[in-house]
Amino acid sequence: MLAHIVRRIMATIPVMAIVALFVFSLLYIAPGDPAAVIAGDQASPEDVEKIRKGLGLDRPFLVRFGEWSWQLVHGDLGTSMFTGLPVTTLIAQRLEPTLSLMIVTLLLSVTIAVPMGVIAAWRAGTWIDRGLMAFAVLGFSVPVFVVGYVLAYVFALELDWLPVQGYTPLSRGFVPWLENLVLPAVALGCVYSALIARITRASMLEVLQQDYIRTARSKGMGQRGILFVHALKNAAIPIVTVIGIGVALLIGGAVVTESVFAIPGLGRLTVDAILRRDYPVIQGIVLLFSFVYVLVNLVIDVLYTLLDPRIRY
Amino acid sequence: MTVQSATLVVPPGIAIAAPTAEVLPPVKVRRGLFGFIYRYPTIAFGGALLIVMLLIAILAPYLGTVDPTALAPAKRTRSPSADFWFGTDMFGRDIYSRVVYGTRVSLTVGLSVAVLASLSGLIVGLISGFVRWTDGIIMRIMDGMMSIPPILLAITLMALTRASVGNVITAITIAEFPRVARLVRGVVLTLREQPYVDAAVAAGTRAPTILLRHILPNTLAPMTVQATYICASAMIVEAILSFIGAGTPPTTPSWGNIMAEGRALWQVKPFIVFFPAVFLSITVLAVNLLGDGLRDMLDPRMAKRL
Amino acid sequence: MHRRTFLKTLASTGSLAAVGAFPAPAISQGAAAKALRFVPQANLANFDPIWGTQYVVRNASVMVWDTLYGLNDKLEPQRQMVEGEEVSSDGLTWTFKLRPGLKFHDGEPVLAKDVVTSLTRWTSRDSMGLMLKALQKELVAVDDRTVKWVLSAPYPKMLFALGKVGTPMAFIMPERIAKTDPFQQITEYIGSGPMKFARAEWVPGAKAVFEKFADYQPRSEPANWLSGGKTMLVDRIEWVIMPDPATAAAALQNGEIDWWETPIPDLVPVLKKNKNIQVDIADPLGNIGSFRLNHMHPPFNNVKVRRAVQMALSQEDYMRAVVGDDTSLWKSIPGFFTPGTPLYSEEGGEPLKGKRDIEGAKKLLAEAGYSGQPVTCLVAQDQPPLKAMGEVTADLLKKIGMTVDFVATDWGTVGQRRASKSPPGQGGWGMFHTWHAGADCVNPAPYIAIRATGEKAWFGWPDSPAVEKEVAAWFAAKDLAEEKTVIARLNKAAMEDVVYVPTGFYYGFQAWRSNVSGVVKGPIPFFWGVTKA
Repeated sequence: MLAHIVRRIMATIPVMAIVALFVFSLLYIAPGDPAAVIAGDQASPEDVEKIRKGLGLDRPFLVRFGEWSWQLVHGDLGTSMFTGLPVTTLIAQRLEPTLSLMIVTLLLSVTIAVPMGVIAAWRAGTWIDRGLMAFAVLGFSVPVFVVGYVLAYVFALELDWLPVQGYTPLSRGFVPWLENLVLPAVALGCVYSALIARITRASMLEVLQQDYIRTARSKGMGQRGILFVHALKNAAIPIVTVIGIGVALLIGGAVVTESVFAIPGLGRLTVDAILRRDYPVIQGIVLLFSFVYVLVNLVIDVLYTLLDPRIRY
Repeated sequence: MTVQSATLVVPPGIAIAAPTAEVLPPVKVRRGLFGFIYRYPTIAFGGALLIVMLLIAILAPYLGTVDPTALAPAKRTRSPSADFWFGTDMFGRDIYSRVVYGTRVSLTVGLSVAVLASLSGLIVGLISGFVRWTDGIIMRIMDGMMSIPPILLAITLMALTRASVGNVITAITIAEFPRVARLVRGVVLTLREQPYVDAAVAAGTRAPTILLRHILPNTLAPMTVQATYICASAMIVEAILSFIGAGTPPTTPSWGNIMAEGRALWQVKPFIVFFPAVFLSITVLAVNLLGDGLRDMLDPRMAKRL
Repeated sequence: MHRRTFLKTLASTGSLAAVGAFPAPAISQGAAAKALRFVPQANLANFDPIWGTQYVVRNASVMVWDTLYGLNDKLEPQRQMVEGEEVSSDGLTWTFKLRPGLKFHDGEPVLAKDVVTSLTRWTSRDSMGLMLKALQKELVAVDDRTVKWVLSAPYPKMLFALGKVGTPMAFIMPERIAKTDPFQQITEYIGSGPMKFARAEWVPGAKAVFEKFADYQPRSEPANWLSGGKTMLVDRIEWVIMPDPATAAAALQNGEIDWWETPIPDLVPVLKKNKNIQVDIADPLGNIGSFRLNHMHPPFNNVKVRRAVQMALSQEDYMRAVVGDDTSLWKSIPGFFTPGTPLYSEEGGEPLKGKRDIEGAKKLLAEAGYSGQPVTCLVAQDQPPLKAMGEVTADLLKKIGMTVDFVATDWGTVGQRRASKSPPGQGGWGMFHTWHAGADCVNPAPYIAIRATGEKAWFGWPDSPAVEKEVAAWFAAKDLAEEKTVIARLNKAAMEDVVYVPTGFYYGFQAWRSNVSGVVKGPIPFFWGVTKA
């Protein structure tokens, strides 16, 4: 088992290398010049060229890629072209808000969606089922920013229950931290919950058809017992899988949510960096996200063995 | 208690039970269009909505619209009225016309991405699943591409090129096709082990024929379902790209576009964001329902239950 | 305030203060609450006002660094760091004496050598500075508080150059920092201004924090724009970056921020209705929108084609698109200089006045031999005024029968492509939009966009000897009356040659909470004298 985990980790290295090469190449061939943006509107073409040289943007591809890879291996993600700060610092500053948002969204969504899916499966075919699933599909279909704006308008501006925007670090208190995250988490969580609810329902339905469930029922086991002791445990694998896949969705959705709710997180950092062509930052963040995604899926693979004793690597 | 039956001679001492009431009512199988709707309500509903949207897109010029790009800054941000059914935007353009014409763009993006991603994913998945030595490399590359969050990939690609509908389609396709490839590859891997494929190989059937005749038909069902989800996802991604400012150019109205331009004003002029949001949500809902319905229909195990 | 009690009553767990797993600076709730929270016009991504010349960098820099002179609201340079100056009778030697007691944020005194190195760095980047550099014979520190600058020819605009508002401003930095190459960023942000930059709390793209510098010695005169005593009445200023205007508006209404530099005009009515918010014009010098043409390549290399656009262009359309329906916020401007300033002129501005002539434009195009060459329009989508102007342009060009190649992209790409001198089909461009702050258009000195030196000019490369003749005449002018005559001729020449087409003159608003007082109008948000109840 340990050997398998190690093998899995080793397998991520070529994946990450491909991502790194892909991202770097993309940015290399990109039009759009950070030097021009830095120089500002009133600069002359000669000034722009001098700034380019100062940033080292005029060197050939292999040299720049080689240098970057070398730094990477030493844990140095490079320095932002615009702020002069190390990319690792920029990421560290923005990590807490995005991580907080993602964790709160994840917990909120799973807490709501799994029971929703279970109930829908239990009462399959009835109006409860159709209603819940219609709700779920709706969660999928409305864009995140529309939900965000509506929530902000109703709960923050009109009812004044929660703040409109911003992020309060956890060190300033749990309640303020949570207050700032409720609306964004709900907005972001709509899509995520919808996904989880549907998969939960589908996989529960599948399990509920099984013979051993019928046996348990005929033995007189209560409904709740059946649902939670037998069915859910067996249905867990696809659910956990989709939670893992959904992390990519969360990362993407975080970009929009952070924009609407002015949360100083990684999503906004990425969009800003992309629009400004701050190459080192873009490369660093995309690598980071990929790494997180790969890591999450690894954790899920490990969780499989806990959930299903039949799976052994 | 004995019952005398007309033709049956019952020996004494034997009891024939009374006819019991029907426990299960006979299943009335309805045929025809109504039967179809009854059995597959999600496909019917989703499909109908989608057809309505397609009609709106095709018939856009005849639906009481004006030129969606005609500027009239003197008439900007008017509320919905008899003249402007959905109001006007910040440049005085008629929102009703823009939303109706926007149907074309959003549907084009959704359908194109679905088709292109499915095709490319199909090809890559078939190759990867069937030609063993390519499997490792291709799947690593697909994994790599999948681990980059699709929105970020799309934004980056859009930022590299200029804003145009074609580029939006390309960007979203690139972000989506690895998933299809994975799916197809999974199906191919399972099928590859089937006895009939072995038999075909033993009989000397060449690889392309095996692919076409045995494997491809089995991939179609899950792929179709996946394609509908991709279509829905693509429409939302386009809206988000436009929201960030990296989507379709403003001279071409698309729902995402209209919402992005109106987002700053949603507090004072909510109608600018409201109408395209409703249209987008309904269309995506329709496509999702269609996908659900197709999945239920094509997967016989699920069909029993409804 | 009754808000935020909702969750508090639900969560009886109370606050888990100092869970401190993440490194966040420990700020007491009290200090944070008293901070003045300001939403700037753009992101403060870097903080070197000589290297990066964006307006937002300058606006932050005026708090952290001080200048030798500062303009007042009449655009007259007044002494700031300088106690007195002397000019030799031949106008070639300038001697400046610094005020006593000036200190940098690290405790070091401000010395003449710091001034010398700072000015050397500044003159390598600024347009007026470059002129000075060309004339410079000697720039030295005579003693700790005296600087001598010897030129080879008189430069009457010296004090204006040192105190001007246009970027880059002549900020004085410590010698060791000012030694940095002008084409590279500084890495330390130590100045002698009234606020210190809290580097440890800077989150580029999200937040920037400034703290009061206790040892600042303000002048005794009352503050007036960049002149006079810059007395800070708040201890802490937080710049909160909010890219989404709807969010910023909601935050202002909720009291989560105190002062918003650039509320968009459409949201202003909602803000005005709110009892707790004040709204007013931000900068009386306003902004001039620009339709910048490429004089180097077809079709705009032909003056008739340029004039066709000029006669069809409706400044009203552009202004409504950019600023909205409130007519007090914009005016048509048949000239190139800032309305309301002494040198404003409408001479030669007939093509931009009156009813627009689409038919005439079409005829002129035909005369010029325009045969359908596409006009490549570079339109930045991430800057709302430029995005708005771009759409009006697409419509305008189509109306007069030109083919439009609309390139919707971001400001970074526009910045790169506009530098290209290739023809439009090969990566070049036909037109792009930008705007100039009114402060930069008061006279030809900071006004790089009006210069018409051909290949050496600003992007667009207009080539007009007539304009350049008048520019030279202005620099040599001896008094205001002479300047006015020269500028009138310049305006006419620039109109005839269509150096660029101004799309209108417009004001922006600023909005602040009613418990904030001391906010004044100006080209820069001035933080001295501002207090929060």
